Amino acid sequence: MSSLNIASRTLFARSVSHSARPMTQSAAVMALRNYNATVVKDTPASAKKSKFADKFATGPSFEDFVGGNQKLSVEESLELKETVVDQQAAAAAVAAEAASPSTGKPAKRPPKQRLPEWLKTPIPSGKNFTQIKKNLRELNLHTVCEEAKCPNISDCWGGGEHQTATATIMLMGDECTRGCRFCSVKTNKAPKPLDIHEPENTAEAISRWGLDYVVLTSVDRDDLPDGGSAHFAETIMKLKLKAPRILVECLTGDFQGDMECVARVATSGLDVYAHNIETVEALSAYVRDPRAKFRQSIAVLAHAKKAKPGLLTKTSMMLGCGESEAEVIHAMDELRKVDVDVLTLGQYMRPTKKHMRVHEYVKPEVFEKYQKLAEERGFKYVASGPLVRSSYKAGEFYISNILKKEKEQGMSVVGNDAVVKLTNAGVHV
Amino acid sequence: MFAMPLRNDQGIQYAKRGRPGPGEGFTVNFIMQDGEEITVQAHEGESLLDAAWANDIDIEGACEASLACSTCHLILDTESYSKLEEPTDEENDMLDLAFGLTDTSRLGCQVLMNKELDGIVAKLPAITRNASA
Repeated sequence: MSSLNIASRTLFARSVSHSARPMTQSAAVMALRNYNATVVKDTPASAKKSKFADKFATGPSFEDFVGGNQKLSVEESLELKETVVDQQAAAAAVAAEAASPSTGKPAKRPPKQRLPEWLKTPIPSGKNFTQIKKNLRELNLHTVCEEAKCPNISDCWGGGEHQTATATIMLMGDECTRGCRFCSVKTNKAPKPLDIHEPENTAEAISRWGLDYVVLTSVDRDDLPDGGSAHFAETIMKLKLKAPRILVECLTGDFQGDMECVARVATSGLDVYAHNIETVEALSAYVRDPRAKFRQSIAVLAHAKKAKPGLLTKTSMMLGCGESEAEVIHAMDELRKVDVDVLTLGQYMRPTKKHMRVHEYVKPEVFEKYQKLAEERGFKYVASGPLVRSSYKAGEFYISNILKKEKEQGMSVVGNDAVVKLTNAGVHV
Repeated sequence: MFAMPLRNDQGIQYAKRGRPGPGEGFTVNFIMQDGEEITVQAHEGESLLDAAWANDIDIEGACEASLACSTCHLILDTESYSKLEEPTDEENDMLDLAFGLTDTSRLGCQVLMNKELDGIVAKLPAITRNASA
């Protein structure tokens, strides 16, 4: 098909509703032609089939697959294709491969890059972890930690070095209406209806749980008229009523750009308003769901600040999707233009084989460079590292930041149990 | 064939059944981005996307067959394409966002295998993206 055909066709499709595609006619014509063709015995389909059958017969036999090290381990089968590979290592491996050819198919591509050492995390276990998991199921709560397969789950739930457990509760169910290419949360066009008791139950559960800092997030609910913002706001308000000392951060979606919904959540009493831009502007079209746009996310962050002046806003980006340094810096500048206070940068890790491939495993040194660049641009707090996620150690960092500021201003820290507890636990300023 | 958007729980039925034995399934030929041809067997009523996943073919399906993305976009051979029913409006909406759209493009999660489509050739597009630029 000529590119002109495709261009005019997509233009046509966009300007007119999809009731009648221009190619219906040609499909019918083709069907007619095929009808005549099927009268003849040796049809194209059977010719194609026999060609493939012949090829299959001349290919590798069963024995070729049984012997030696042909079987892939779980780790290897989750490896990536076509990622940016360390050039020297790749060249060396290819040379080794050529020198001693293994059985089976010849190596066509450079060897796959394995998960770098700095990204390997232990399998979650331990008392805190199992206790939290048990609590969650009893209280019928979902966490994004489990749904999105976060590698830090053992670290956060286990309490880390400061023994302050953080968990990110996911409201409005575990099925999202969007299908972003990097996210393993279940997708459903018509998710289960909202649980009207969820705000009360969640607030009650968290207040009893004894957390100092909680992050609330949600799935995108484009099926609801307000995107679930009222439900979200209600949960925050109830939580603040039951446990005023808890610091609440909420990580919202973009409510399809409905600023009233953004304001509803921003003015519900939370301490930090977070919304992730996920990636740079150039890649947003490739990585995020079509309904999510870079400019829309920036507008959400701007409006949250406007709705409640003085509110801390936070965002997060994944690196390793194919962005360049200039694009990352551009994104940082755009964020500073709307006065976003906190930025976190982490490495994109492919959750399952059904998701986007990793383009590059960004080295820790590069993360450090981005940290410096971001801090130079005036973000109040920057967390940058391969395993850093939006709410990773959010509580500790937030509180240590407050302590630092208050120390600088000569004020004493009074009255906040959470702050006192963490200082006693050894959070450094 | 009833053109209803597939949900991902339907795919699980096929996963549990295991792969078709000799003579039981229908042939699907996938052509990868680098030209490699992979031939797999699919059950009747199994979608092309499920057949690909069951045979470890590297194809994304970010929204798990809920018609919310275009990452399972496949370019079919003209003959098989003509045997299929018209795509639903929802499928068309998502398909229009796919990269490298052709006249024989369909979403893999919506094409269900049957006897007529035996030997279908499905080519993976060069690039995947999830939205119009």
